Amino acid sequence: MNTILFISIVLIAGAMAGTIHGLTNLALVEPYLDNAIMIENQALFASGQAEDTPEFWAEYKSYRSWQKEGQVLASAILGTSMGALFGIVYVLSRDALPKGGDLKKASVLAAIMWFSVYLVPFFKYPANPPTAGDGETVVLRAALYLLFIGITGFGVVVFYQVYRRLTKNKRFVAFAGYAALVAVAFVLMPPNPDENTIQTELLNGFRIMSAIGVTIFWTTLAIILGVLWQRLRPDSETNLEHH
Amino acid sequence: MTYIAKKGLDNMTNLSMQVTRSPRKVPVAAVVILGLVFTVGLFVVGFDQGHILSVVFGEQAFEEMYIHELTHDLRHTAGFPCH
Ligand SMILES: [Zn+2]
Repeated sequence: MNTILFISIVLIAGAMAGTIHGLTNLALVEPYLDNAIMIENQALFASGQAEDTPEFWAEYKSYRSWQKEGQVLASAILGTSMGALFGIVYVLSRDALPKGGDLKKASVLAAIMWFSVYLVPFFKYPANPPTAGDGETVVLRAALYLLFIGITGFGVVVFYQVYRRLTKNKRFVAFAGYAALVAVAFVLMPPNPDENTIQTELLNGFRIMSAIGVTIFWTTLAIILGVLWQRLRPDSETNLEHH
Repeated sequence: MTYIAKKGLDNMTNLSMQVTRSPRKVPVAAVVILGLVFTVGLFVVGFDQGHILSVVFGEQAFEEMYIHELTHDLRHTAGFPCH
């Protein structure tokens, strides 16, 4: 294994997929954030905490465009860091993934990770636009979110080990076991403690666009990593050693 | 399954594994480095409320929450808990 090449491929794939995620978010999700923050602004005017003046709007506009640039930068960082996790799992599980090229292997793994560390947690603790959350509960919500992702993510690892040890006609037991684990966690874990007062249309539109964005991220991550791996073969050294 | 039958099956799977797989060492150093990238990156983007810059700027960092403000939109967008 060429370590430097392996790390480079993983980080480049993550950063590229993350940047693409950030740019798609500008088009898909930012309009919903603007709407939600606009409602916040109206509340500030109504309560007298801010005044509806041209200066307010000038400052608001420059602040928001800074935050949107920050969103793209943050997406690149998050992409790199999720790419790093993906690279670790990929290198550890590559031999166990379905036979075929690396594009296929990476796509299968990305689908499993998208499902277990994103989609399932999304149904329990869905993304929320600004104003939906209570600042007082943010640490609790972060802990719940991470714990739930830990359960649904590590659950796959555990039940994959079960799956491996079962004969073909008994493998459904592993799937059933994972489903049962997720169901128990779903029921036992407390719901998001915040009261959600945001209008349904804004909330649903935001969530759908947010989910599309994250799905695009996992798809591009798998494609870029798979193609780079196939072209550059960071594992080729080892192959030579063993021949 | 009898012991002998199981043994035979194990040998068969081992054999097919040898044909299709080349056993390789997992690069431990790479896994450690990527693990750090993952942890630090995730914290900065998803959870920092002034902690990292407080190393340099002290208490003021918690009030300004520069990193939180910069990564704020993505926190909402990617599903991290926020305000
Ligand atoms: Zn927020």
